[in-house]
Amino acid sequence: MSSTAMKKKVLLMGKSGSGKTSMRSIIFANYIARDTRRLGATSKIDVEHSHVRFLGNLVLNLWDCGGQDTFMENYFTSQRDNIFRNVEVLIYIFDVESRELEKDMHYYQSCLEAILQNSPDAKVFCLVHKMDLVQEDQRDLIFKEREEDLKRLSRPLACTCFRTSIWDETLYKAWSSIVYQLIPNVQQLETNLRNFAQIIEADEVLLFERATFLVISHYQCKEQRDAHRFEKISNIIKQFKLSCSKLAASFQSMEVRNSNFAAFIDVFTSNTYVMVIMSDPSIPSAATLINIRNARKHFEKLERVDGPKHSLHMRMR
Amino acid sequence: MEDDFRPLLNPEQTGECYSDRGSTDSLDFKTKRPFHVEPRNIVEDDPQERVSAEAAILNSRVNYYSRLTASSDRLLSPPNHVIPGPEELYIYSPLGTAFKVTGSDHSSKNPSIITIFAIWNTMMGTSILSIPWGIKQAGFTLGIIILIFTGLLMLYCCYIVLKSPKAIPYVDASDWEFPDVCRYYFGKFGQWSSWFFSMVSLIGAMVVYWVLMSNFLYNSGQFIYNYAHNVNMSDSEFGTNGSDKVICPFPNTDPGGNYTTSTVYFANSGNETSDVSFENWWSKTNTIPLYLIPLLLPLLCFRSASFFARFTFLGTISVVYLIVLVTIKTVHLGFHLEFHWFDTSQFYVPEFRLLFPQFTGVLTLAFFIHNCIITLMKSNKHQENNVRDLSVAYLLVGLTYLYVGVLIFAAFPSPPLSKDCIEPNFLDNFPTSDVMVFVARTFLLFQMITVYPLLGYLVRVQVMGQIFGNHYPSFFHVLALNILIVGSGVLMAKFYPNIGSIIRFSGATCGLALVFVFPALVQMISLRRQGVLRWPSALFHTFLILLGVANLLAQFFM
Repeated sequence: MSSTAMKKKVLLMGKSGSGKTSMRSIIFANYIARDTRRLGATSKIDVEHSHVRFLGNLVLNLWDCGGQDTFMENYFTSQRDNIFRNVEVLIYIFDVESRELEKDMHYYQSCLEAILQNSPDAKVFCLVHKMDLVQEDQRDLIFKEREEDLKRLSRPLACTCFRTSIWDETLYKAWSSIVYQLIPNVQQLETNLRNFAQIIEADEVLLFERATFLVISHYQCKEQRDAHRFEKISNIIKQFKLSCSKLAASFQSMEVRNSNFAAFIDVFTSNTYVMVIMSDPSIPSAATLINIRNARKHFEKLERVDGPKHSLHMRMR
Repeated sequence: MEDDFRPLLNPEQTGECYSDRGSTDSLDFKTKRPFHVEPRNIVEDDPQERVSAEAAILNSRVNYYSRLTASSDRLLSPPNHVIPGPEELYIYSPLGTAFKVTGSDHSSKNPSIITIFAIWNTMMGTSILSIPWGIKQAGFTLGIIILIFTGLLMLYCCYIVLKSPKAIPYVDASDWEFPDVCRYYFGKFGQWSSWFFSMVSLIGAMVVYWVLMSNFLYNSGQFIYNYAHNVNMSDSEFGTNGSDKVICPFPNTDPGGNYTTSTVYFANSGNETSDVSFENWWSKTNTIPLYLIPLLLPLLCFRSASFFARFTFLGTISVVYLIVLVTIKTVHLGFHLEFHWFDTSQFYVPEFRLLFPQFTGVLTLAFFIHNCIITLMKSNKHQENNVRDLSVAYLLVGLTYLYVGVLIFAAFPSPPLSKDCIEPNFLDNFPTSDVMVFVARTFLLFQMITVYPLLGYLVRVQVMGQIFGNHYPSFFHVLALNILIVGSGVLMAKFYPNIGSIIRFSGATCGLALVFVFPALVQMISLRRQGVLRWPSALFHTFLILLGVANLLAQFFM
């Protein structure tokens, strides 16, 4: 298999104004320039192809679905096969405040039909977004209603539904779950991660997805106080990456140390980063770094070995 | 990201970057390392270890999101419902400690004494000038009884207005005023009718102001003219002799009967033609109401009334001066009281008269604050003392009115003059030449000139807001409204300058809805919804409603 094989796609679709660009920007740490926001607002065909390398070799495509414009719709229909071929993941965003539920469901169904025809193995995720605009006591109820409708409409495809908002932890958790389901042989990674952590006597070991710094899996040897620490670390590192990109520098690894702990963030496999936290400061950094490097070789083998899918993800290094 | 595969530092590109940026960010990269300090110490009243988890994670998100957009872009800024309440806000100091902000500073909290004073100040209006006349209409004893009784009644109604938003379940009614409560219980009808009756009280007040301003301007001008030309007017006025002269402007009314209006021109017996022509140019009902138009109509058209709000202190000074004036006059004149219980006599009025509804009408406007009491009480520091503070404020207002009313009535020199001569504006009972009263009139004139645009602004906001949805739809809308208001004031001043009647009618009308009917209904409905409505309470509140209706009807028949 050559590395120029057809790139698999992640489709991020939803009505104009449902929050796709903001979500993409927050998850992938892309700066939103002012003009990009006018995506789909006019009759111009605005499609975003971000060449975000996500989970190996996936390309993220952002599409406005269900614009008022017939020209847009015609283009959509005529290019349907092109758009929906080679799709690995379909993430469809619903605005919980939308007044046109019928229309939204209609467009969602037509996307599903196209997926069934062109990429029947794709995984489908539905995000009910902007949940912060709903009153707290009604959120579960409204989400359950939507979930039932969507699951019913999606048959025979199976869709996984999440409720999200950029103002609470639901967005991060939803995308973490999505990424978790997309990482090949993730359970094996988890078991090996636990073994690795126990061997090097780490307090906590986190596995991040490379592009988004979403926590795929983690091991902790005792209870931690802060439930939001994953999102915080993700935010901090993404901010750091943004600063680095301004200098055209790229971030590879980091060590943070004080008298109480030492933390190491480093590249791990082609899809992941690892963060190791040691609470015994007497262990020298070099020792931990060697351990991480050795583990890296082992984990890469794990990723490479299974499934024909992975041959597509191999890049000539 | 693609960046992962580029070399760590590309010399040409960094060169570009250096030159692109301004001098401010140039070479000082070491200090621009991003850092994040999670504070460990909180300084506040109770010892607490950390910033709350919610606040910390929101802080992290806001920091991160703000990096994703341009600084002026509001796309990713936190909306209001996401920001925690003021108790959850922390101020981070550069040293890493965080301070909790105690108390909310957007609504400054006042101690009780300030709240009581604000209520007293707001309630004290021009009705104070009509209290002696009201006591005279009701009879001395009955007048005092009615004043106390009406004060207590209106205090109770104010109390139920004050607590009505709190009894509303499931809805956050913390920033509602009483018209919003009416809208909640009675729908559109409630909203429109409470708006309408509120308008009645405001426009009634504005008309009274115009009449009074014409009166005071006339007297002040007359005083200055007489002083300048050394004219002595005392012969032409029917009144007492001596240094503290009290006059009876309309001596031909029969005691005990209805007050008849008569526009009597004082034909000056002076021989100077200039006096007569001055009378023509400076007439209380003919010309002065018109002279006020070019002064006040432009002030009404201002877009914002905040300039005039600075002058509210003039109102307090006027009332205090009036109290002092009343005290001094009483000391000079002495008491003249005789108790004739039910019969009329030449100089005195019976203690109990059938005209008492006129006094209740005046008192309904005198004690009226129900449309803004909720807002006034909101800034009270100790909310649990609201009822106590309201009661104290009403007590003080009642005492002030009682003081002024009783003293003027008692000091009115009855042997030469009949008590029936007491005017709806008691300052009219003093001649133009009285210096102390001249000062009072000038004070009040200035105060009214500054309050009139405020009232006009309130009317405009309510009318335009309710009808057009916009406080200032266009200059012509506002001008039309102002012309209507000013026109009604001028017409009243010309043809019916009896402020006693205007006050009692507008008081009884707006009191019907905003003091008696709506508060009683709201109270009964909320008690019933809570399931605690007992029949004595229902009976009492129904009785209140009937009182309000009777109050209004009696104004027409008495």
